[in-house]
Amino acid sequence: MSVSEIAASDIVETVPSALIILDRNLNITSANRAFYQTFRTNAAETEGCLIYKLGNRQWDIPALRTLLESVIPHRASVEGFEVEHDFPTIGRRTMLVNARKIFQPGEHDGFILLAIEDVSEERAARKESKRNWQLTQSIVDTIRDPLVVLEADMTVVTASKTFMIMFGITEREAQGRRVSELGQHQWDVPALRHLMDKVLPEDKPIESFEIEDDFPMLGRRVFNLNARKISQPGNHAHRVLLVFEDVTDRKIRERDAHMLTTEISHRIKNNLQIVVGLIAYEARSTAAPCVQGYMAMQARIGAIAQLYDLISQSSRSGAVAIDAYLREIATTLRASLLGEASGISIEVKTEALDIDPDRAVPFGLLVNELATNAIKHAFPGGKGRVLLSVGLVGDQIELTVADDGVGIPVMTSVKNAEKRGADYLAIFVRQLGGTMVPSVAQGSGTIVRVRLPLLLVPPGDPGKLAA
Amino acid sequence: MPILIVEDDSLIRELAVVAVEDWGYRALEAGTVAEALLFLRSSQPIALLFTDINLHGVPLGGCDLAREAIGLRPKLNVVYTTGNFISTEMSARFVADSRVLRKPYSLGQLKDCFSTLLAA
Repeated sequence: MSVSEIAASDIVETVPSALIILDRNLNITSANRAFYQTFRTNAAETEGCLIYKLGNRQWDIPALRTLLESVIPHRASVEGFEVEHDFPTIGRRTMLVNARKIFQPGEHDGFILLAIEDVSEERAARKESKRNWQLTQSIVDTIRDPLVVLEADMTVVTASKTFMIMFGITEREAQGRRVSELGQHQWDVPALRHLMDKVLPEDKPIESFEIEDDFPMLGRRVFNLNARKISQPGNHAHRVLLVFEDVTDRKIRERDAHMLTTEISHRIKNNLQIVVGLIAYEARSTAAPCVQGYMAMQARIGAIAQLYDLISQSSRSGAVAIDAYLREIATTLRASLLGEASGISIEVKTEALDIDPDRAVPFGLLVNELATNAIKHAFPGGKGRVLLSVGLVGDQIELTVADDGVGIPVMTSVKNAEKRGADYLAIFVRQLGGTMVPSVAQGSGTIVRVRLPLLLVPPGDPGKLAA
Repeated sequence: MPILIVEDDSLIRELAVVAVEDWGYRALEAGTVAEALLFLRSSQPIALLFTDINLHGVPLGGCDLAREAIGLRPKLNVVYTTGNFISTEMSARFVADSRVLRKPYSLGQLKDCFSTLLAA
């Protein structure tokens, strides 16, 4: 064995491709280890065997016959001849066959070297990948919201059908162009550029970024943009997925609803203004002792009125934030009873709770009544502090109205106006299904506590209103 | 001291006028921006403009009126009133040193407001 022969056989044994050598009669003279492994056979079964007869004639493949009998005789070599076949032992395979005629000096009839590469897995993977891509594309195309994938420099990689329709462009026109150049440059907006600048470096998805504009084909539209960075494994280049959600109709409905709420609120306030004005008009010709009652009536109407502002601003199906509500009541009390130079302050301290609008009115009137009592009677010196607070105590709500004044036992007060106030208190507490906790003298001042069933709802949970 | 009351709801306007006159002021009344401007452009002395904000469906009509009024009479006191929520868009258009009363205002509040401004 010469050095060159050793080297050749070593190479033959170590290459991963299956190699066989055929003589001119297509009998196998030798095969390498890769061939035996791939096709689960051995040298004894193989050598000297007609290739078509090998392994129960499983190599008797029409495509292979064509290659060996029609192509090879006329050509010195063939590359990348693809053979797909069901092998009984190893299943369906796709093979790439390279063939080369080898002539040895002095011999007229050469040998045929066949290199067989099993590409089944690669082909299967490619098919799978193509199927996945088609699936993805069909999903993308069925999504109603226009969707586009962008390179980091904002050029379009791929886009959904609705995206093309929206911009009135074809896929070819879109690909490789910057978003800002699309359509009639209507997306060339600083807001969008800013958005994209943020998504890429910060790795943070952006939800509901609103853009309102006139679009040549669509008219005036409002879109919510959602952007998200797509990172591909093993690839440092980042792409951005951008989804355009058309919220125009929803926006119109919201604006209509807002306008309606505003209009109703405006009318209600005007009507309450008339009521307050008529009460005041009546009070002109009323004996002095009764005027106090008319004034208290005006304050109660004011307390109800404040609700409408809070409801019209509240986005969650009318649930009112208790903190904001108490602050409004405090503001109204300051304006109607205290004036700017007053030495009496009203403070609010509550847990984060919402109140359902059905009970907000008696609740507000209750707070108004208690606070008014404190303001009017606790501070003969005109100086002090009233604290309105609401908190959870077990499964109940506790409203506390505390002052640091002279200390009046509210329920046993003797003045006429006070008595009426106490009656009102009883009405409101009853309506709310609550109970008064006897007032406690704590140092100086008065503390009134009212326990109420869970009429308040936790923020963001308007569905769980207590019965 | 004359007070110009601009309010498109005639009953609300009437009740305010009666109260203002009870307090000893002279009341001038207007139901529209145009009527109000007739007073403001005349030589009639006016100490204070008390105007509703939403006038005949123009959401910030009272704001525009007050701006024009201040243009005509820079020293005029201005008090707004509104049944709507006071948005930042609204308050941004208030003239300097003006006041606002939310509806329903009590006549006590109105009286305090006027007497404070007119005493200054």
